[in-house]
Amino acid sequence: MIRKCALALLLVALTASPSLAKTLVFATDATWPPMEFVNADKQITGYAIEYMKAAAKEAGFTAEFKAVAWDGIFAGLAAGKYNAICSSVSITEERKKTMDFSTPYFKVRQALVVPVKSDAKCIESMKGKTLGAQISTTGHFAIKKAEGVKDKSYDEVGLAFEDLYNGRIDGVVCDDPVAAQYALQNDKYKGALKIACIIESGTDEFYGIAVKKGDKEDLDLINKGIAAVQKKGIDKELLKKWIGGGK
Amino acid sequence: MKKHDKAPNGHEPVVIDVGDGAAIPKSSDKGLVSAWRISFLGAVAILAYLLIDRPDPYLRIFKFVPDGILVTFQVTVFSIAMALVIGLITGLGRISRNKYVNLIASTYVEIVRGVPLLVQLFYIYYALGRFVRVPDLLAAVIAMSFCYGAYMGEVFRAGIASIPVGQTEAARSLGFNRAQTMYYVVLPQAWRTILPPVGNEFIALLKDTSLVSILGVADLLRRGREFASESFEYFETFTMVAVIYLIITLILSKLVSIMEERLSHHVKR
Repeated sequence: MIRKCALALLLVALTASPSLAKTLVFATDATWPPMEFVNADKQITGYAIEYMKAAAKEAGFTAEFKAVAWDGIFAGLAAGKYNAICSSVSITEERKKTMDFSTPYFKVRQALVVPVKSDAKCIESMKGKTLGAQISTTGHFAIKKAEGVKDKSYDEVGLAFEDLYNGRIDGVVCDDPVAAQYALQNDKYKGALKIACIIESGTDEFYGIAVKKGDKEDLDLINKGIAAVQKKGIDKELLKKWIGGGK
Repeated sequence: MKKHDKAPNGHEPVVIDVGDGAAIPKSSDKGLVSAWRISFLGAVAILAYLLIDRPDPYLRIFKFVPDGILVTFQVTVFSIAMALVIGLITGLGRISRNKYVNLIASTYVEIVRGVPLLVQLFYIYYALGRFVRVPDLLAAVIAMSFCYGAYMGEVFRAGIASIPVGQTEAARSLGFNRAQTMYYVVLPQAWRTILPPVGNEFIALLKDTSLVSILGVADLLRRGREFASESFEYFETFTMVAVIYLIITLILSKLVSIMEERLSHHVKR
């Protein structure tokens, strides 16, 4: 009897779901405040999350977020474990070869964070020093590109900041909103760390939503949402709410 | 001393078997010996095939990770050396008749064995960072040896306990004091029982050093992950990393089995 009931329920659940709005599952490495992080209520939230939720509402799909560790996030997309990645993925030529990107939703620069007492000007003056970054982020690439600088990669950017705070490394390179969050707003690090400089790379860097290569259907849906959000100015409100001030 | 290699009741000497190391191919266990050969030759053949037949990306990966292998070895060797010292002290503490020493050693073992190694690594790494500035490699070694010291302490304790009480009684009646009895009579014999599980622990520790990659220590696994997340060649990279770990572990387990046989050749009939 129970088995029959369960079976019936399962059937209902299976047949019912397609009639609802399409659900897109977004993978996110929620360790990147203020863009995406887990708040005190254990909910994934942040600028990018609310941005995508708004975009989903505009384009008529349901956005679901799944926490995934950063260094396997692209492999999971290729394997079809989720529809898209909404995790502050910078659009790079290298990444474009293996995945498709939505229209950009945020402009970002790489910032170097150092202890308050450090007299480092920028990444060029850090020869022989060790800089930390989250593994395979554009910040990590920037360190590897700099001559004579040793790189140390972390699973999460927060661990890099803790090591910087404890004096094991000489600086951290990451996206500027994240740098601002840790160095200027975080109660613990506020007085101890500072942003030394914004690293000039020559090209603008943008966040995009990554989808599996060739997944035109989902990409169109996401782009439609992003366009609507930008048109309605919802992104400006979110900017004010999460990044503060707004530029 | 020969006759004392058998336990007083006439059974085979006590063998301490720790389950988290590699399977040691003892010559008495024919199945395991052939399994060892198959895995070893298989792993080497796969490695050679991949490197020769598909140099892209396998040769690139192979060239990317050697400094990681070195770090893995450094962490393993230094940790095991420190863990041996901590283990000996803990083991002696655990059988100490001084109840305070005994209590301290036992509590240490109890706490360490009750907390997952990964959590301990995080805890010690970041807790250490608060008080002293040590390089990350040293911090990892301290964390690993702190944990393994407790396991090692149990190995020492069991090894010492496996020596018949009669030995101690005889030494004491001949005028040895407690320290002399331990140093000249019990430990030299216990060593034979202790060494194989220590070799086993060494291999277990080598495998567990992969956990330090979470601390940003650039070991074999970390290097692999760096390569994978940049090139997106996850499957290829982890195939390579797994094969390298396997080959290292198999070589070590063979060495341990050879050592074990040398140590116990006199027991054979």
